[in-house]
Amino acid sequence: MRHIRTILRAAEPAGPGIRLLTLMDPDGWPLPRFRPGAHIDLHLPNGLVRAYSLCGDPAEADRWRVAVKREDAGRGGSAWLHDGLAVGGELSVSLPRCTFPLAAGARRHLFLAGGIGVTPFLSMAAALDRAGGDYLLHVLHRGAVPMPAQLAPLLARGQAVLHDTGAGRPDLAALLGPPETGVQAYACGPAGLLADFEAIWPVEQAQVEHFVPPPLAPAPDARPFTLVLARSGRSMDLPAGTPLLPALRALGAAVEASCEGGICGACRVRWLEGPPIHRDRVLKPAERATDCMACVAGCAGPRLVLDL
Amino acid sequence: MAVTPTWLGTVAHLHITARAFLPMRAMEAIELIAGEGILGDRYRIGTEEGFYSAKPEPGRQVTLFEEEALEAIRRDHGIELLPEEHRRNVTTRGVPLTHLVGRRFRLGDCLLEATRLSIPCRHIEEILDKPVFDPMINRSGLNCRILEGGTVRLGDPIRPA
Repeated sequence: MRHIRTILRAAEPAGPGIRLLTLMDPDGWPLPRFRPGAHIDLHLPNGLVRAYSLCGDPAEADRWRVAVKREDAGRGGSAWLHDGLAVGGELSVSLPRCTFPLAAGARRHLFLAGGIGVTPFLSMAAALDRAGGDYLLHVLHRGAVPMPAQLAPLLARGQAVLHDTGAGRPDLAALLGPPETGVQAYACGPAGLLADFEAIWPVEQAQVEHFVPPPLAPAPDARPFTLVLARSGRSMDLPAGTPLLPALRALGAAVEASCEGGICGACRVRWLEGPPIHRDRVLKPAERATDCMACVAGCAGPRLVLDL
Repeated sequence: MAVTPTWLGTVAHLHITARAFLPMRAMEAIELIAGEGILGDRYRIGTEEGFYSAKPEPGRQVTLFEEEALEAIRRDHGIELLPEEHRRNVTTRGVPLTHLVGRRFRLGDCLLEATRLSIPCRHIEEILDKPVFDPMINRSGLNCRILEGGTVRLGDPIRPA
């Protein structure tokens, strides 16, 4: 069981082309906790995987909310989430991951949202409201406002400001003011907005969230390599630092795995050419001369040939 | 001559969860079903929804973890691992779990047989956002089969059978 099984318990329109989904456990069991700014992957039935920021209050233990903007020019993920998933339907999701956290110790948080990029800031605002944190949310939008019901209380309190960009984008430096010590600024939205933000704000006081999360940085000594299965003859070119298990599964190799941390021994495979980079803690030196643990192994050479 | 047991422990905490990844829920009492598992838990055989349920294992009906191991992890690594976070069902006090593999013992009125030591899993770090995989190696608890079922309550004795 690699995913969390959820049921769509409610869906409502939330601004232009936006559907707000409320996901819950089938029995209403609490869901794993998430940090403000975190996102989850939605695993769609057609195999697409889509990341969405959690936009509900992290203190609501039994529900996750995501807002899906319909992208008609996309590959069908958001269209299915609008038209294919009915209330009561089931959706597999990942554990929450937070690549866009609130800065610990900042005395003031400035949020810059482009359109649907407002979503992570809604979970951050809920957490800061509870903790008594100081923040201001700038929402840049063109025409109709995204998430109007969720923004209404913030607008009423003066903790959110709308900027319709139909007449041009406001000057970001003027919006944010000077980057005083203790002021952290965050941006989430289209690539152009993020680039402009990064150009005017010091990097050590900035956090940005891309709509598509960037790939994880590989280990400094990792190299790209070709994974070859000697028996089936199948192969795959892998970027530096790619974990082996998903690649083996994609190549149709039936490899057992359990701890996925290099200690249980379940995914031991014989290697023929490499050499592998051994990162397990289960094989003895003599065993490493012939075998490796696929869950944690890498490759020091251009080809890793496995006896599979 | 009667042999005096060398150890006598107690049930410190009880936890179950319905499905993989979901938070563990603290319980006052749990219901053990012989040959199956715990009522409402993810690894009850027949209704399994655990992370490892694709790999059936008859000896994984109930799992135990030493409260002393939580203290050792705090002492050795400075990591606060809470009883609801190790993801085993029964947190024990005063029970030498690692010595019980292959043996039978009483958990309250229930009779268990220890099948193997538990192994930590990398996915617990994902769930907890704490680096506990290494600290849990060799002190990750015990997997057991339920030979005689019944109700187990907080404070129940644990003793050799």
